[in-house]
Amino acid sequence: MLERIFIFLFLPSVLAAQLCKPDAPEGFKVRLSIKTALQDEAYEWDGNERFLFQATLAFAMSRHTRQEFNVSNILVCDETPRVSFWFVVTSPDDPSQLINRGKVEAAVRMSRNRINSAFLLSDETLEFVGILPTLAAPVEPASPPWLIVFGVVMGLVGAGIVFLLVSTVLQKRRKKNQEGDEGDDDEEARVKTAENGCRSDGIYNTSFSEDEPNTQM
Amino acid sequence: MAKDARDNWENPMQFVLACVSYAVGLGNVWRFPYLCQMHGGGGFLIPYLLMLVLEGVPLFYLELAIGQKMRLGSIGAWTAISPYLGGLGLASVVTSLYLCLYYNIINAWSFWYLFHSFQSVLPWAACPLNANRTGPSEECERATPTQYFFYRETLNISPSIEENGGIHTGQALCFLLAWVITYLFIVRGVKSTGKVVYFTATFPYVVLFIYLIRGFTLHGAINGIKYMFTPKMEELANPTTWINAATQIFFSLGLGFGSLIAFASYNQYHNNFERQAIIVSLINSGTSIFSSVVTFAIYGFKATVNYENCLERTRILLLNTFSLSEDSITIDNVFERIVELNTTHPEQFAELNGKLEDCNLESELSTAVEGTGLAFIVYSEAIKNMPLSQLWSVLYFIMLLMLGMGSMLGNITAIITPLRDFKVLSCISTEVFNGKKKCIVCFICLLLGLGFTTTSGNYWFTMFNDYGATFSLLFIVLIEVITVSYIYGIKRFERDIEDMLGHRPNWYWKIMWAGVSPLLLIGLFLFYIINYIQGGTPTYQAWNKDLGKSEQIEYPLFGQAFIGLLLASSVSCVPLTALYVFCQRRKHAQRHMQQHTVNTVAA
Repeated sequence: MLERIFIFLFLPSVLAAQLCKPDAPEGFKVRLSIKTALQDEAYEWDGNERFLFQATLAFAMSRHTRQEFNVSNILVCDETPRVSFWFVVTSPDDPSQLINRGKVEAAVRMSRNRINSAFLLSDETLEFVGILPTLAAPVEPASPPWLIVFGVVMGLVGAGIVFLLVSTVLQKRRKKNQEGDEGDDDEEARVKTAENGCRSDGIYNTSFSEDEPNTQM
Repeated sequence: MAKDARDNWENPMQFVLACVSYAVGLGNVWRFPYLCQMHGGGGFLIPYLLMLVLEGVPLFYLELAIGQKMRLGSIGAWTAISPYLGGLGLASVVTSLYLCLYYNIINAWSFWYLFHSFQSVLPWAACPLNANRTGPSEECERATPTQYFFYRETLNISPSIEENGGIHTGQALCFLLAWVITYLFIVRGVKSTGKVVYFTATFPYVVLFIYLIRGFTLHGAINGIKYMFTPKMEELANPTTWINAATQIFFSLGLGFGSLIAFASYNQYHNNFERQAIIVSLINSGTSIFSSVVTFAIYGFKATVNYENCLERTRILLLNTFSLSEDSITIDNVFERIVELNTTHPEQFAELNGKLEDCNLESELSTAVEGTGLAFIVYSEAIKNMPLSQLWSVLYFIMLLMLGMGSMLGNITAIITPLRDFKVLSCISTEVFNGKKKCIVCFICLLLGLGFTTTSGNYWFTMFNDYGATFSLLFIVLIEVITVSYIYGIKRFERDIEDMLGHRPNWYWKIMWAGVSPLLLIGLFLFYIINYIQGGTPTYQAWNKDLGKSEQIEYPLFGQAFIGLLLASSVSCVPLTALYVFCQRRKHAQRHMQQHTVNTVAA
């Protein structure tokens, strides 16, 4: 009689010990980096926190599978000072049956945000080893911002060129009205000597000169 | 006295600023710090300054003197000195043309980065996500986000020079912008160039100064500065140090392109270029040293950040493997704990063997990078870690633009000035065509340069950068200095300078021109040839996207042929033109003799 009582008393914990162990086939390893995330406001990992974890995970499972999960269905084991542990989820109908890994992963994925906020942590500091977080989609603006700046600069440069062209034309017209035919512009007549290999200072043989009135632009 | 019919700088200051803007270019920022690092930090300054005195300043003075005296672009000037050597000017123009083709692509990249700095998160700060949004894209994971942004998003680089894709449209647009702005700067000749250089010459110094202050206040910058200033004197025994110092001075001053001759040709006849030559050379070297102090502060910061990140990753790895509480290992005692854990848990530690990184500050500091890698990858990595990174990014890339545009002005002037003076083209031109020459030159360079915006464009850029100008310039300047010293004659040159300046150049200049510089140049020239022959097949760095890093590949056959073509095309101008002129003269002389005999008979 006494043995039966003992067996009944210890069976759940023995079962639990057998179901939840490191590298359990249907289990997941969780790693929390509380001090890294919260520094001075870090809390200690104790029984209450573990309870919170079990509760949030039960919440996540219930939400995903629409079955009623209880805190006792989440088994936690192998806690380390790192704050990492393994957990498995048992079925509410049959405590010796483990919930399939894929279902647990889907449930965690769905409620990841809620689990993170319960612990004031983020995807990097509350790791479920093996479950990759779905990263937020990058914000894509309607038109790439660089094109806008490019357009502005190009517009300014184009305006500069137009301004230069117009001012040149106006200048030419004004000069023509003032002086008639003499082209008195920037690029003026050029004088060259005959080829004799050396350019003597200041004395040019004008019979070889070539006058080329060049116009502006 | 003939009428002086040439454009002039409005004042000598514009000329000095133009030379400074041209000489102080990207090489001062991305080549000199690398050389400093490779050749023993502060100790490199000794060969550098010595070479400045022995070859830099004398050759600079020489080119300015020729330009100011002849008042023509490079082709006209050399033809005036000796008709057989017009090819020297032509070789300068060809080399400048190659430079113009590929240099503006750097400005296009600067524009691209500049435009992308106007975002809340810099695009090279984080990796983009992969297709199913589970993590960063693989190529970015293996490399770093800054490398990914440069190689994939900016260049969209292909795995090798043989494979080609299409043109990168963003790049092409920025390239177009760069050329439009270049055209705008030169459209009125020295009138517009003279005004632009006030800005392009001075703004980089403002930014460098701001960066100096910022750099010194960065965490870990002192590591970099210490690394730079501890000289390793044993490097001075290595001949490569001296050769690199000589080549750096040579290329940094921009000798041989004809730009200096072109700029000086717009001077007043009696302008005191001797003082200006010394000032500009000193400013150029001073800027190199100044920018390398800034660069080393940035290096120090980047190395420290990487080192601390490495330590942090190691710490997390140890915590996770041994399941220790979080505050048992801090960044400061990582190494002691590693030793401890190795003794207490050897089997578990052995499992870690592959994953444990070797965090070493020295090795982070000694990763020397040069060229586009330094400017676009290392600097942008440092910038993304600074607070207010958008501001620093904008400042930095505007500085790169100013430096690049300033050098570009000199290069394009080196092509346009001789083209204006060159008889053949001006004969066949009409009034309208003459003015439009600048537009045509820019347009042709733009079209040809679009090839650099393709997916394999960066490899072609590297080829042009390494081979397009280096060897030909040495040859050109060597012939220049020998021509002036021996063919034209030092005595005649002295008289010309006395005519311009009012006093003769003293013995220092004469010794350098006649003896030391030609010997140095011959030595460099021989070294290049020997290096080229001994080096075997030329190689280039290709980006391997599966490994996430660059690897050396040999150039394919057409690549090597093209390199040969680049080298031969500019160098061969000199002998070919001499031959051509020789033939022309003989024909002329024969005709002249026939006419003469007829005349005497008639008389």
